[in-house]
Amino acid sequence: MLQAYWYITKMRLLTSLAYRFEVFASVGTNLILMLASVFLWKAAYGGGIQQVNTLNLQDLTTYTILSITLSSMFVCGVQDTIYYKIREGQIVTDFYRPIPLFACYLADDLGGMLSALANKVLPLLLFASLFFGIPWPSSAISLLLFIPSCLLSYGILWLLSALVGLIAFWVMELGNMGIVKDSIVRVLSGSIVPLWFFPESVQTVSKFLPFQYTYQTPLGIYIGTVGTKEALAAMGIQAVWIAFLFILLAAGWKRTKTKTLIQGG
Amino acid sequence: MQKMVSSIRHYVSVAACFARLAIQRQLEYPLFLFSWLLMIPIQYFSGIWMLKIIVDRFQPLNGWDFPELTFLYGLGLISHGIFVVFFINTWHIDNMVINGAFDRLLLRPMNVFFQLVASYVNFIGLIDCIPGIIIFIYGCQLAGFEWTAFNIVKLLLVLLGGVFIRAALFISLGTIAFWTKRNASMVSFALAMLERGTMYPLSIYPNVIQVLFTFLIPIGFISFYPAVEFLGKSSGGLQLPLSLALWTPAIGIVCFLLSQWVFRIGMKSYESAGS
Repeated sequence: MLQAYWYITKMRLLTSLAYRFEVFASVGTNLILMLASVFLWKAAYGGGIQQVNTLNLQDLTTYTILSITLSSMFVCGVQDTIYYKIREGQIVTDFYRPIPLFACYLADDLGGMLSALANKVLPLLLFASLFFGIPWPSSAISLLLFIPSCLLSYGILWLLSALVGLIAFWVMELGNMGIVKDSIVRVLSGSIVPLWFFPESVQTVSKFLPFQYTYQTPLGIYIGTVGTKEALAAMGIQAVWIAFLFILLAAGWKRTKTKTLIQGG
Repeated sequence: MQKMVSSIRHYVSVAACFARLAIQRQLEYPLFLFSWLLMIPIQYFSGIWMLKIIVDRFQPLNGWDFPELTFLYGLGLISHGIFVVFFINTWHIDNMVINGAFDRLLLRPMNVFFQLVASYVNFIGLIDCIPGIIIFIYGCQLAGFEWTAFNIVKLLLVLLGGVFIRAALFISLGTIAFWTKRNASMVSFALAMLERGTMYPLSIYPNVIQVLFTFLIPIGFISFYPAVEFLGKSSGGLQLPLSLALWTPAIGIVCFLLSQWVFRIGMKSYESAGS
């Protein structure tokens, strides 16, 4: 059974590795975003400001570098895959498969993530280290906690993406709602500006939303702003969100499956 | 003379016909715009909001306070919006080369570049203009921009120049597709560069990048140098005779002509992808 999924993952890994020029440009794009953000922080800290909210420039530089690196690694193609497959009517062939639809797409995205690890994460970290010094974690423990927290983050992001994909089954004529979700996630996950700097009211609301647990939680653990005990608690919340989103997806999928419309089939 | 007038008239009528078709095509599925209609304002309003958060928590960025940053951001965004309405097809040259649509343009007895651009007037791009105009007017209000006749003329020239600089960049990039057959990822690369280069003050970047964006790829003239003049800021080193803002249309036209030359060279080595 697992063999089937591994096959999908492997195929995606190999095809992603084949498109070298695309990867080259994608690394370049992310590098520009990284440089621009770091220089923005440098300007913000310019002229003698040492610490704001207990964070110094080095913390935010590390935060930014890691945030952009993670975003290049967290491949959540499921929303686009479903959207295009429904539009083109190809979704029907995926229904024929003897394994669950969403598990297929997860295996595919995991393959994308593995290839990104090799051809995007490594060059990005290399360039970032050349420009701004190696982005060290604040301690060995924070690095150890960072990795499982990243995996949980990916779980949340992927489930959100899958839920948006589910929407496409119902209202495909509204266009790809994934781009709307992505623009909300970018802001409220703290991937560009950490939520610690946001107004109090926004921070309070954000605690009850899944977004800040996708980027801010692992990154905060990495730079040591989130202590060990809080980190474990935060990972607990991440797990709760995964469970909740998973139940939502399973329930939604059950109702959706029966009323799928095959375009041009 | 007579011949030129009738040729211009012919081009205008073709452009009008293309535009009508483009509107009809885009309005056929109006709900399809819904996701863009939500996403684009979210993206740009949150962008300016995050600048406000940074300035509030920290300090003005290299002497640029929030009103001035808003002015700069809005100016850059409006020229992006206008560009997207008129020149979006320059992003898709590689697609046209691969699927053979470019051959069709070559067969018609008309200027190829004109057909390329006129054949898709992207009214959806107006969605980009709306947050741009709102943010810009808000910035003008905050920064105390004076709406004198002279300033308005200068502003219009700056926008025109900014659109030309953007167009020149994407035409040159698109030309690469004549050789490589693909360049879609170059487009996203250039977009990221333009966005970060025009919406933040250029003076926050190191000198190397400032020189690069002033002389080699002159995107500093899209919004930064004009904003410097309109707001009476320091340009961070660059001294030019005459008004900084008026350099934008001049540079825009020069770049545009250069890109036309590049495009023509590229077309000479065009081979149909054929099928």
